[in-house]
Amino acid sequence: MPSTMLSANQPMAPAQSDGRAGKYLTFQLAKEEFGIRVLKVREIMGLQEITAVPQTPAHIKGVINLRGKVVPVIDLRLKFGIPAAEYTQRTCIIVTQVQGESSAVLMGIVVDGVSEVLNLTGAEIEDTPEFGEQIAGNYLLGMAKVKGKVKILLDIDKVLSTQELHNLNILAH
Amino acid sequence: MPCSADLRQHIEDLALRLVMGGPETAQALADWISAIQAIQKAAEAEKAQAVVAAADSAIQQIRQASSLEDWDGDTPMAGLPEAIARLQQALDAGMQAPVAADQSIAQDPELLADFALESREHLAAIESQVLILERDPANTEALHATFRGFHTIKGLAGFLELWEVQKLAHEVETVLDRARNAELAITPAATDVILLSADSLRRWLAYVELRLHGENSQPPAHDQGLLDRIRGLYTTPEATAPPGLATLATRVEAGGAEENTPQPAAPISPRPETMAVKVDTAKLDFLVDMAGEMVIAESLVRHDRELAAVKSPQLQRKIAQLTRITAELQRTAMSMRLVPIGPLFRRMARLVRDLSRQFSKRVELETSGDEIELDRTIVEELSDPLMHMVRNSLDHGIESPQERQERGKPALAHVYLKAHHQSGQVVVEVADDGRGLNREKIRSKAVERGLVPDDKPLSENETYNLIFLPGFSTAEKVSNVSGRGVGMDVVRRHIEKLRGRIEIRSAVGAGSSFLMKLPLTLAIIDGLVVGVGAERYIVPLFSVREMFRPQAETIWTVQNQAEMALVRGSLLPVLRLYRRFRVAPRSENPLESILIVAEVEGQRFCLLVDELIGKQEVVIKALGETFKDVTGISGGAILGDGRVGLILDLDRLFKEPNSASDF
Repeated sequence: MPSTMLSANQPMAPAQSDGRAGKYLTFQLAKEEFGIRVLKVREIMGLQEITAVPQTPAHIKGVINLRGKVVPVIDLRLKFGIPAAEYTQRTCIIVTQVQGESSAVLMGIVVDGVSEVLNLTGAEIEDTPEFGEQIAGNYLLGMAKVKGKVKILLDIDKVLSTQELHNLNILAH
Repeated sequence: MPCSADLRQHIEDLALRLVMGGPETAQALADWISAIQAIQKAAEAEKAQAVVAAADSAIQQIRQASSLEDWDGDTPMAGLPEAIARLQQALDAGMQAPVAADQSIAQDPELLADFALESREHLAAIESQVLILERDPANTEALHATFRGFHTIKGLAGFLELWEVQKLAHEVETVLDRARNAELAITPAATDVILLSADSLRRWLAYVELRLHGENSQPPAHDQGLLDRIRGLYTTPEATAPPGLATLATRVEAGGAEENTPQPAAPISPRPETMAVKVDTAKLDFLVDMAGEMVIAESLVRHDRELAAVKSPQLQRKIAQLTRITAELQRTAMSMRLVPIGPLFRRMARLVRDLSRQFSKRVELETSGDEIELDRTIVEELSDPLMHMVRNSLDHGIESPQERQERGKPALAHVYLKAHHQSGQVVVEVADDGRGLNREKIRSKAVERGLVPDDKPLSENETYNLIFLPGFSTAEKVSNVSGRGVGMDVVRRHIEKLRGRIEIRSAVGAGSSFLMKLPLTLAIIDGLVVGVGAERYIVPLFSVREMFRPQAETIWTVQNQAEMALVRGSLLPVLRLYRRFRVAPRSENPLESILIVAEVEGQRFCLLVDELIGKQEVVIKALGETFKDVTGISGGAILGDGRVGLILDLDRLFKEPNSASDF
């Protein structure tokens, strides 16, 4: 996916904004709407039984069986430092294909609910505002304003490979 | 190559003459020989090695044919067209490529890789056949098989322009050819030289393979000494054996066999090569994986509650059929990864031969169960431990011929390599009829090294198991083969890595035997599914010794800290799985739990779990890099209900009990 590579390398350069255009799957997490590239999504599934793996950080929920493959599952709320919530009927696991250390790996993310698929043009995507040093902004692709609402676009490769993520709550306010 | 046109002309003349009519008299035949000799000379001047070699073999063919007493004019004719054709081929090959072996190696890498692979197979076959010949020089079948091996390598090497290889193979082939014609006896000197040549060819193959992998490597040095030794075999005692009917018979037989040369010796490979397809191992692994998935999916369907509610005999039949097919599919897929253990055994034959000479002992290797099949990886990984044990056997186990005779045993000692199936596993045994393990000596050595306290009573088995401890070696003097103290502990680690177990049996004066119990495959294990709280874990069954519900007097707390369990008279450390993994157990009371006695690297310990759920065969899945820092878990597996179960890594669980860090 060359376009992702481009934008991931130079997320701040305005000239690259066209590289960010495309289809995004948006989902909810607490009060926010996030988006990830549809190309990264392999499957959306309802919540199923997750086998916990001992000695792992809280945001790693464990592993699931995806048609014979053992796939790790991350709770994105906990990963972003948002307080945990009860899993509901709307809670889903989005199975993404991300770049691992050596090859592409499947990883599931638990989100509060999947919203829709948006087709975003380059003009609709803005660069993330500078928050100063405390935000490790390079896992954000940008922000999109659609019908008056802000969607935070994530570089899911970076999100899942970064160990420590700062509290995203400050972002929207 | 300026005079290649001339050379070509000569050869084409010859071909034309053949078409007009071959030699009909002995005189005409001599003309032919001199004509080909002229070509050979010209080729030599041009350094067209392939042509030289081809001419050489053509001349020999004619000479052999003409030496027959009852020559009727047809016999030499049979080989001539082929010989001329080969000359032409060699000329074409020589025209296209430069002579230096080094440059030509850059040619078609696929062909070269195939060549290396095939030649290795031939060399392995050659080696075992030569060893047969050594014992039984009159074994014509082994002789023919050896000849065919070298002949094929020669042909392939010539095609790929590996002239050094071709030359060496050609010289050995000449020796063997003389032997086939009963003009030369297979002496120990001859077998030595043939084996050395095989080694030399192996070095070439290693070089070819290195180059194929893009590594820089020097070609093996030209070994004129070896070539001279080979030539010495057939030049000094000038071909004197009277040709006769007997030789004719062998020739006819050999000629028949030669026509389908790429076949290695029939007794070596039970499966004809023409029926085999080479497949990428990654594809094979994927197939095995998918077959495993299919079994799981099938089991999920079969046990589905809604489906079970449907009472239809027809559906039942269909599902039963599906089950049968899935099981068959998985078995077939698994069997594709399996290879017979025979070739590995035969590699040991060479080791036994060389070592028995080195130690001046008379040893014969006997194998059985060569056809038993194991996972490829297991067979490969078994090579080192097996080699080690065979060495130990020859060095320590087997007595010198004198000592044996003094004890009333035959001077000829035996080493046995056996394989057989036993309850779903394969047992590989390395045994000898030597002096057996000396319990006293082992014990005193272990005490001396501080490996065991002086006064501790040890059972027979416990004593034998001492030799698996790191740093143990009973060799009185360190030889260059064994006795460096790195032996048996490494062997055991290897075997356990393969999820196997090793046991020792020994009788003083009658010999010892090392039994390795190995799984058929590494992709599947027999697991014991246990429950801790809401979680389920899989304990590899090969490490489980026993399990029971503890009594009040079973569990002891030592100094208010470490918990020990009294099992069959020995105190074993207890690991409460729920504490280690920080999960809420159903009960913290050990009397309501289950103790599993497990053994890893000779050490036993107890694992406390809530309940036993059952035994299941599971396909092992890696958990991936997300969990690479997790200790005590070796992988995951899909359980019968479709959920993932975690497979315990008992070794690390026990050895790193405190690594449950700050999460």
